[in-house]
Amino acid sequence: MSTPLRSVEDLETIVDADSHVAESVDDIVEYIDGDRFSGSLEILSHSTNPVMDVYSNSLPTPGFVDRGYEIDDVHAKFDQLEEFGITHALIGPTTNLNIASVDNPQLALALANGYNSWVLEEFIERHDRLYGHVLVPHHKPDRAVEEIERLADRPSIRGIYLPGTGTVPPLGDERYDPIYEAASEHDMPVVVHASIGASHTMFPTQTMWNETYAEEHVITHPFTHMWNLTTMLLRGVPERFPDVTFVFQEAGVGWIPYLLWRLDDHYLQFADELPYLEKLPSEYVRDQFYFTTQPLGHTAHNGRHLAWAIEMAGPESIMYSSDLPHTDFDPPEELFDRIRPAFDDDVVAGIMGETAAEVFDLE
Amino acid sequence: MTTRHRVANVDEFTDDPDRVIREVDGLEVGVFFVDGEYYALANYCVHQGAPLCEGRVTGEMDVDENWEWEYDHDPCVVTCPWHEWKFDLETGVNVSDDRYVTPTFETAVEDDTVYVLR
Repeated sequence: MSTPLRSVEDLETIVDADSHVAESVDDIVEYIDGDRFSGSLEILSHSTNPVMDVYSNSLPTPGFVDRGYEIDDVHAKFDQLEEFGITHALIGPTTNLNIASVDNPQLALALANGYNSWVLEEFIERHDRLYGHVLVPHHKPDRAVEEIERLADRPSIRGIYLPGTGTVPPLGDERYDPIYEAASEHDMPVVVHASIGASHTMFPTQTMWNETYAEEHVITHPFTHMWNLTTMLLRGVPERFPDVTFVFQEAGVGWIPYLLWRLDDHYLQFADELPYLEKLPSEYVRDQFYFTTQPLGHTAHNGRHLAWAIEMAGPESIMYSSDLPHTDFDPPEELFDRIRPAFDDDVVAGIMGETAAEVFDLE
Repeated sequence: MTTRHRVANVDEFTDDPDRVIREVDGLEVGVFFVDGEYYALANYCVHQGAPLCEGRVTGEMDVDENWEWEYDHDPCVVTCPWHEWKFDLETGVNVSDDRYVTPTFETAVEDDTVYVLR
């Protein structure tokens, strides 16, 4: 870092480690492989309400006022990022965040196939500072691996994208090992994203009995990650795949220190149950896990508290994200202004983009 | 001392509600025409600096004596386009937390010209 960091404009690199496009089903259907998925395409053509009859999304109330998003092409997407000073972005979906709640595994695979081809051709391969991931449904891991193999060599692909919410059994289940094996072979991080639409009738992200979008949205993202992360750590996923990194998106940072204290405490107390772990869960997290920052939450009461939470979670594991264009996005300043007084410049630069550049091997 | 700044002709407000956004003495101000009255607020959301006055103008949700939703359709609130924070058009006060207040300005109309006093 040549000059001291005084404002967010002094940063050379700001990576949005969790950015989005807003695809419709019509957008991606055109990109579904017609030979491989002719049957699924026929079924999809019968849909009158894909949110319900394909994705099985349910919400207590409609929620956000405006979800028009107006980023219909790569230029609009990058213009919006530039407006906020973001230099690079890792792109994920919107509708297909909820691919885990697609009940039919064939449809889920067909939709992932279409989304992946669409986002590659329409967005990430049209800009040298946009990157993406291979979206895979969790339903049939061996089929997911086929989709990974189809696209892993495309230069814009920098990770394997797994749904977090609605993913049952949770991601610590050994049935997902082929996906983690593929991540290891292709040297790509596994990215896990939470989403409200795929909440379901079971623990820990339950739709039933939530009365408002607000209460469902508050709990879905952290509960999703707490369950997935706990099962992955206590069932030894990072022990079995020591060279794979895992990135958890869209639950902020405040939940992390609480969960790590609790995991370490249980690891030490329940040694008989967990003999295959070689170190504290928090040490696996330090070595192999990353978290993106959005949504930071309302931290205005005392700006230092956010920096303390990051200090407790481990600053080397934290990566800035905006979530643009969604209407709970965080501009870079919202994070930068809180952390600049608390950390050395190289740590701040790491959180704002350098760590993501390393994790996702960005140019 | 306040100065009167011309911001628009009344003809520029073709709907009700309608708005214009103008620079007034170095500050962007949104001037809203609602139910025959003019309101002026800083085009700046105190949350994260968004262009507040580009947001939707709506009525306001309240709760009735049975703790059920009750909606007042009279336009009186502007919703920030970034994160949906809602501010009263007349007072600039956030509808959820009165510690958050957007600066407001007096308006005046004379000879079909709308002025902001600042």
